[in-house]
Amino acid sequence: MNSLDFSIILQAWPYLWSGLLFSLALTAAASLIGLILGTCFALVQHFEIPVVSQIVRGYIALMRSIPLILVLFWFFFLVPIVLGHLSGNGRPIPIGATYTAFITFGLFEAAYYSEIIRVGLRAVNKGQFEACQALALSTFDTYRSVILPQVIRAASPIILSQTIILFQDTSLVYVLSLTDLLGAASKLAQLNGRLVEMYLAVALVYLVISSAASQCVASLRKRYAFTGAHR
Amino acid sequence: MLQESAGRPAPPSSIVVVEHLVKRFGRFAALNDVNLEVARGEKIVICGPSGSGKSTLIRCINHIEKHDGGRIVIDGIELTDRMADINSVRCEVGMVFQSFNLFPHLSVVENCMLAPIKVRGLSRLDAHDRAIGLLRKVRIHDQANKYPAQLSGGQQQRVAIARALCMQPKIMLFDEPTSALDPEMVKEVLETMVELAQEGMTMVCVTHEMGFAREVADRVIFMDGGSIVEEGDPDTFFRAPRTERAKSFLSQIIH
Repeated sequence: MNSLDFSIILQAWPYLWSGLLFSLALTAAASLIGLILGTCFALVQHFEIPVVSQIVRGYIALMRSIPLILVLFWFFFLVPIVLGHLSGNGRPIPIGATYTAFITFGLFEAAYYSEIIRVGLRAVNKGQFEACQALALSTFDTYRSVILPQVIRAASPIILSQTIILFQDTSLVYVLSLTDLLGAASKLAQLNGRLVEMYLAVALVYLVISSAASQCVASLRKRYAFTGAHR
Repeated sequence: MLQESAGRPAPPSSIVVVEHLVKRFGRFAALNDVNLEVARGEKIVICGPSGSGKSTLIRCINHIEKHDGGRIVIDGIELTDRMADINSVRCEVGMVFQSFNLFPHLSVVENCMLAPIKVRGLSRLDAHDRAIGLLRKVRIHDQANKYPAQLSGGQQQRVAIARALCMQPKIMLFDEPTSALDPEMVKEVLETMVELAQEGMTMVCVTHEMGFAREVADRVIFMDGGSIVEEGDPDTFFRAPRTERAKSFLSQIIH
């Protein structure tokens, strides 16, 4: 192999960029789905809604105990078959790699976000609930306007940390033949033989984005340290 | 009496009626056959040793604690398990807590605006005007846009009083409002409460501030072991308590 030639990165940049955009879009969508669904899961458990809360607990335990890559396979191969059976004609209905990725990542992350929110809910001072009661706020308004905003704020550093992990995990979509940042780099590396340059460049991009996000985590921690869930 | 329409029953003279109230925590009877009537505009101070049930009593009055037996009627509405009754009672009853319980993620003025908007259906503008008006009354309107954590304990408690008043309650409950405060901040909170009393608000205060009791209370109620042991006007109660338990309690808190 010749000496390192980083000019190759510049030529490859448009393709890498499209891969990076896919990674970011997947991260954003999955964290949004995960956060909304995870909050619902956490509330179901918090209110101890019979049956539903047991199902949710089982779902979360399952998702947290198997690797993400396995969930991706399941979704890609099993869900079309199940859908086919449900539709009646028995033939598998493919849902496509992109949808599979967005739905699976969202559902998978929901399990993790839900645990974060659930712990946060338990940490809210009981006086906050009593103040809401004394002001005759409905349960809905209590959670929407008082409890959840505090939980989300207090948990925001952990939520963001989880999202950084999610961003790195998006590279797993290669098993669905989707092209994310790492996938784009791999393909180009195999075409042009510049493996070292490609993987170095990609590592640098991951490093920059993840450490910028970590900086945000640190500043969030500082910012909400004094107004946390207490008082 | 002044403006009574023909069909409507006369408003009961007692705005709070508590009959044979029982509250248990497991096997422990926190309240044991408590009877209490509060007249409109009356100011009542409840005192007693810790664990005597005084906080539990006022927490039953707005159903933060659910009672196990007896009757509670607030302004003609009986507290049952029906959420509609509970909410209509809570709308008429303001409460101030020992630990303030302000919402830390909302500014002072937003703390005061939340319930009037969500529960009373006020517009943001009206709620804001009302909040600023009441914050001015407790002399803290210049801090309206700060967050609770930026205020002193005394200031936070005055905000909590304003927040409760924004619902325009007919009764105010105070659960040891000065117990969590540094000594130098007790006065500002008590002054606010005295002003409120002078304006004719019906008040039920759990407090050991005897100066406050002497100044504003129409009646002092002494509780011990989940029952009302003695009640009377503050002068008589503090000067010459009738029961042994009240005597020994007073000797412990007055140095």
